[in-house]
Amino acid sequence: MDIVLRAAFAFAFIFFLTRIVGRRELSSLEPFDLIMLIVLGDLVQQGVTQSDYSVTGLVLAAGTIALLQVAVSYVNYRFRRVRQVLAGEPIVLIEDGRVLEANLARERLTRGELEEGARQSQLDSLEKVRWAVLESSGQISFIPKQ
Amino acid sequence: MADQPDGIVLRRHRDLEGRFWGPWLRRALLALVALVAILGLVGVFGQRPSTTSAEAAPATLAISAPTAVRGGLLYQARFTLEASQALTDATLVLSSSWLDGVTVNTIEPSPLNQASRDGSLALSLGHLPAGSKYVLFMEFQVNPTTVGSRSLLTQLDDGEQPILAIKRGLRIFP
Repeated sequence: MDIVLRAAFAFAFIFFLTRIVGRRELSSLEPFDLIMLIVLGDLVQQGVTQSDYSVTGLVLAAGTIALLQVAVSYVNYRFRRVRQVLAGEPIVLIEDGRVLEANLARERLTRGELEEGARQSQLDSLEKVRWAVLESSGQISFIPKQ
Repeated sequence: MADQPDGIVLRRHRDLEGRFWGPWLRRALLALVALVAILGLVGVFGQRPSTTSAEAAPATLAISAPTAVRGGLLYQARFTLEASQALTDATLVLSSSWLDGVTVNTIEPSPLNQASRDGSLALSLGHLPAGSKYVLFMEFQVNPTTVGSRSLLTQLDDGEQPILAIKRGLRIFP
């Protein structure tokens, strides 16, 4: 029973952390982020299984996490209001070439990061952007002007 | 004014109506995470040792051990005994809470005898001359499933005769 509770707590805690650190931090995967991801995985594993090296322990922990993942996914699908809390909502960053500075500040995004995102979408100027939306995944969608 | 993309509601996603609390909630929750880290820094979750001592006419006993530990951690308890008078058969009696859900890795130096005394662990240390000092190290490891608070009672006897006792607390975090 203990390992199931540990796995559930680890799932909830990581979910909680990913919701509060900000979506931009999670969307980028620079080399440092990749290493931190591996380190985090190792820390979580130790907390969940501790000195349990059994296959039973693996099945219990991995099964619990998979079930919780499906449960969160179902709740996201079924309840719109809960989805807003669990998954977050998009935020408009550019409207008709005009950068919405307050919305940038809210997500701790700089104009430089926005310009970088635009370049990655083959847009050489923010003025050519009709809409830029920070999605709940942390990615920025750019819709160019016609 | 450009028509917004499907799924975007300007009042909510551009003007952020009803979403004022979002950053503040996020900051508050981050502060909570920071608070836990700070509590960890100051040793609330273990395993900084603290010393408790007791004195009686024949001897003094000091115990240095953490009062908070976490599941799976190794920790040490050091028992320092100073005899003012000769003790014929100095015996440390540890309540079962010292050992329940905790693995004893080693006891150094090894006691002359170990026995159960009404459910407690009695460690016979032998004869201690007046003015002598005896230091006993016990190394423990918390079993991963053990959690909760407990009271640890340690008694110093001379044979069956109680000399002094020390009561300490131990919190075990999961």
